[in-house]
Amino acid sequence: MLVRLALHAMGTRFELVLEGDDDGPGAEAHLRAAGEVALAEVELVDTKLSLFRRDSLLSHIQRNAADQPVKVDPDTFALFELCAQVCETTGGSFDPTVAPLMRAYKLHDDKATTPLVTLEEAREQVGWKEHVELLADSHQVAFTAPGTALDLGGVAKGYALDLAIEVLRDAGITRALLHGGTSTIAAIGQPRGREGWPIALGADPDAPRVLLRDDCLAVSAPGARSVQHEGRRVDHVLDPRQGLPVQGALVAATLSRCAAEADAWSTALLVNADPKGLPPHMESLIGMTDAEGERVPTHWFHRPRITRTGPSGFCDIPQSRQAAPLQTV
Amino acid sequence: MTSSDRRSFLKGAAGAAAAFAFQPDLSASPRALNAPLRVGLIGAGRQGRAILGELGKFEDITIAAVCDSDARRLSSAKRRAPGAVFYAEHKAMLESEDQLDAVLIATPTHQHRSLCEDSLDAGKHVYCEAPLAHTLEDAKAIARAARAASGKFQTGMAGRANPVYSLARSFVRMGAIRDTLSMRSQFKKKTSWRTPTSDSARDKFLNWRLDPDVSLGLVGEVGTHHFDVLHWFTGQYPTSVRGTGELLAWKDGRKVADTVHCEFQFPGGVRSQWEASLGTSFEGEYSLLAGTMGTVKLAGTHAWMFKEADATTFEWEVYATRQQFHQDEGIILIAGATELAAQGKLKEGIGLPHPPLYYALENFFVAVGEDGEPCCSAEEGLRAAAVAIRAAEAIRTGAEVAIPETDFSLE
Repeated sequence: MLVRLALHAMGTRFELVLEGDDDGPGAEAHLRAAGEVALAEVELVDTKLSLFRRDSLLSHIQRNAADQPVKVDPDTFALFELCAQVCETTGGSFDPTVAPLMRAYKLHDDKATTPLVTLEEAREQVGWKEHVELLADSHQVAFTAPGTALDLGGVAKGYALDLAIEVLRDAGITRALLHGGTSTIAAIGQPRGREGWPIALGADPDAPRVLLRDDCLAVSAPGARSVQHEGRRVDHVLDPRQGLPVQGALVAATLSRCAAEADAWSTALLVNADPKGLPPHMESLIGMTDAEGERVPTHWFHRPRITRTGPSGFCDIPQSRQAAPLQTV
Repeated sequence: MTSSDRRSFLKGAAGAAAAFAFQPDLSASPRALNAPLRVGLIGAGRQGRAILGELGKFEDITIAAVCDSDARRLSSAKRRAPGAVFYAEHKAMLESEDQLDAVLIATPTHQHRSLCEDSLDAGKHVYCEAPLAHTLEDAKAIARAARAASGKFQTGMAGRANPVYSLARSFVRMGAIRDTLSMRSQFKKKTSWRTPTSDSARDKFLNWRLDPDVSLGLVGEVGTHHFDVLHWFTGQYPTSVRGTGELLAWKDGRKVADTVHCEFQFPGGVRSQWEASLGTSFEGEYSLLAGTMGTVKLAGTHAWMFKEADATTFEWEVYATRQQFHQDEGIILIAGATELAAQGKLKEGIGLPHPPLYYALENFFVAVGEDGEPCCSAEEGLRAAAVAIRAAEAIRTGAEVAIPETDFSLE
């Protein structure tokens, strides 16, 4: 018994596959109901953390947190703590305060609730450590300066999947695969008769594969979306440290038990292909190019469970990205 | 106001100025309450969790207690209300928590009566989710208890506290759409409407919405909110209803219809259509009031006015933001527009800064803290529930069912 459900949220499509252990009466209804509750969780995260909805919690924080600390629910506070921790460990390669810069580069459209400022002003506003305070006792978040804004796009899909997974486990689901836009994937158990859920990192038959079982995979690549800025192509990942479009890896993939953590770290490793500080329970894979834009062998870190299936050992990189590696703006 | 009065009222510049002045003040930051309140939540399911999420925004509200008879739900609420004391039984909560100011009730509908009565008896202010009850007897009992009690009572209707709906209503009430011709509401969502559980003993309890003995189905759980909005906008209640309910999308043994159509007869020949389905998501949820000079569309955090070509032009329309819906152009109604326009920030006002649930809770807390009137009384809750109960009867019997005025009163 297999049930599939899908949802449009966070500007992408979430999909989930649930497998039941029995095919008895009511099994399908139960799987579907569990899947719906899990997707409702994703929808709720979207309504809370969207930069594009005026009634979101995130917009509420952005309107008020520079004037007075804003109280948030424990789940959201835990997410902010994770953001602070990954931001700190990665030296700012992952940093949600990049939002004003995203807006200045027009990577966010006019629907974004982040105010539009110049690139120079936006660069001043980036920096979690200087601009965001978390008050653990009262579950409050405060901004130290007006203009600070958060883009949780590097972590929200994973966070939503973590909450969805929890709901599914609560409902007694033992076999499930969920993904948000194919770039963040979470698994419960394994399909019946298999060792895990096989995921290929790209469409190429030689693409690396990973078997997911009770863990989460996040993949980041800069070429997924882009805009034109002053005649140049700007990919949708910015380096918060430099205030410039990303110059780092072509693709970064991470494995963790926590999808939000995997998501944040895959963003960080794309910006800076240096896994220093990667928590020991995590694994990563980074695809690079050399100065000529040629692909160089993938770097492997920690105890890689990501397996090479073909001779090349390269990740599948979009053609357009290979042909035009980004130069300094 | 007669219709000729309305015409002359709207013709003048004073009318346009009044239109602006009517707009409610809308502050994006949470309102400071008069005094801190300690609240207890009964029911930690879907709606209870949504309430917990919004409560987190109020600085002066302490979630002191959470009650749910389902242990699994209670344990998942523990993370969401860290400082609270947890109870499996509401009487234990009411006895132990004598410092509670207010009780918020978000349980299955058929449990509302005893919870409302016990909470009011204990001297608490009560906010109870809609529909108030699944039987007229229970709804009236709640309204009587609320009338007799010293505490405030608010029925948790999604529309009445909504600032965008208030603004739309002020336009309708002053005649902007002129004579109302018809009304239509819909709820479309592709969902099985089931709560997952692998335990058949818990199934009957958790899936009460699919139990015809205690559930009015879509017309009660969803329709009540729409019916209340129409009563509030028009000041009228329907006199009869016809309806059909079918199982078209979910053939899984359930007995509560997944696709429902109703037609309500209002005084003066106006009819209101109501449609709901769990098999499609198309166009989601909204209500329309169509008049001879325009149509108002209400959709949660947003509202629009579609004007007839021969309708009076308001002076402020030059500032208005418009949105195209195929061949129709709607003026987006913005709460707090005067202030935002003065700051050149009108576009930032599109949509509400909080979900409608937030405003309903805020309204309740302000009424409690300032000894004011809650926006939706128990008696209005009774009236909307009565309409839903008669609609469910019409669906069940296939006959046109009268909605007598005695349904609406406590006498």
